[in-house]
Amino acid sequence: MPTFRARVFVTLKPSVFDPQGRTIVESLHSMGYGRVGDVRQGKYFELDVDADSTESARTTVDEVSHRLLANPVIESYRVEIENRDGDAPRI
Amino acid sequence: MKFAVIVFPGSNCDHDAYHAVKHVLGQDAEFVWHKDTSIGGADVVILPGGFAHGDYLRTGAIARFSPVMDAVSAFARSGGPVLGICNGFQVLLEAGLLDGAMLRNSDKYRCEYVNVRVERTDTPFTGLCSAGDRLRIPIAHGEGNYYAPPDVLDRLEHNGQIVFRYVSAEGEVTDAANPNGSLRNIAGVCNATRNVVGLMPHPERACEPALGSADGRVVLESVIAHVKAGAPLAARA
Repeated sequence: MPTFRARVFVTLKPSVFDPQGRTIVESLHSMGYGRVGDVRQGKYFELDVDADSTESARTTVDEVSHRLLANPVIESYRVEIENRDGDAPRI
Repeated sequence: MKFAVIVFPGSNCDHDAYHAVKHVLGQDAEFVWHKDTSIGGADVVILPGGFAHGDYLRTGAIARFSPVMDAVSAFARSGGPVLGICNGFQVLLEAGLLDGAMLRNSDKYRCEYVNVRVERTDTPFTGLCSAGDRLRIPIAHGEGNYYAPPDVLDRLEHNGQIVFRYVSAEGEVTDAANPNGSLRNIAGVCNATRNVVGLMPHPERACEPALGSADGRVVLESVIAHVKAGAPLAARA
């Protein structure tokens, strides 16, 4: 069974205030980077998943993302999947 | 009657809850480890404060999948009274037993006394209060910024599910009285059937005058009275 590498990007929904992002922006401004307008901080996960197909791997990663990696009340997520052997296209 | 105090790895207010219930209020209480699959016939479940699983990933996100949470959920669904304090409130939110989510405080970690106003007395944990009662109890949290989407907030307001709000010493809902940026100064909510209550402040740490305030006692006294009155929905799990 092939192994797939999934990358999951979790971000706060736009309507949710991000105190960490705000703190980072203010810090960047005091460092002199006035051209940085806005920062939103999110999370990045890498998962190795054994599955028969890319679709099957994606289903598992979607489920894992929805149940644990992201809180659907306040966060959205995006998934990228590739075959660990490097053959399959990114999805 | 018996209280179950759930203990997750990283819980640190479990002993405060146990002490308040057992030594201050003279009730039977036991610790229940998060891997247990039963709450041992308890009449009330407390999810205490602390940093379950180090708050890794998101506060309460991992604890909600602990084996004991199946029993806690079943108990809650059958109408049993469940109190989530601070980290416990966060676990209940992640578990979907309460609506909404917690964000990091808009400002910084806050460890201080706050005033909360009792908005509803029709929960097992506020039955001995009067609406509008002001309780001076401590908070100690970095992620107590309560959030829910606007339609959920409106539903909670409409159904009277906002149980506690942060207020000034004069009892007013003000920005200055809000320690963490929570929407609508919400300090605690209940579920639709009103038996599950979560709040960020620590009533169990305000049960003895020697510790600075005894205003929190009434929260635990209320549920004791509720159970002893033979509340019809109490169940054994």
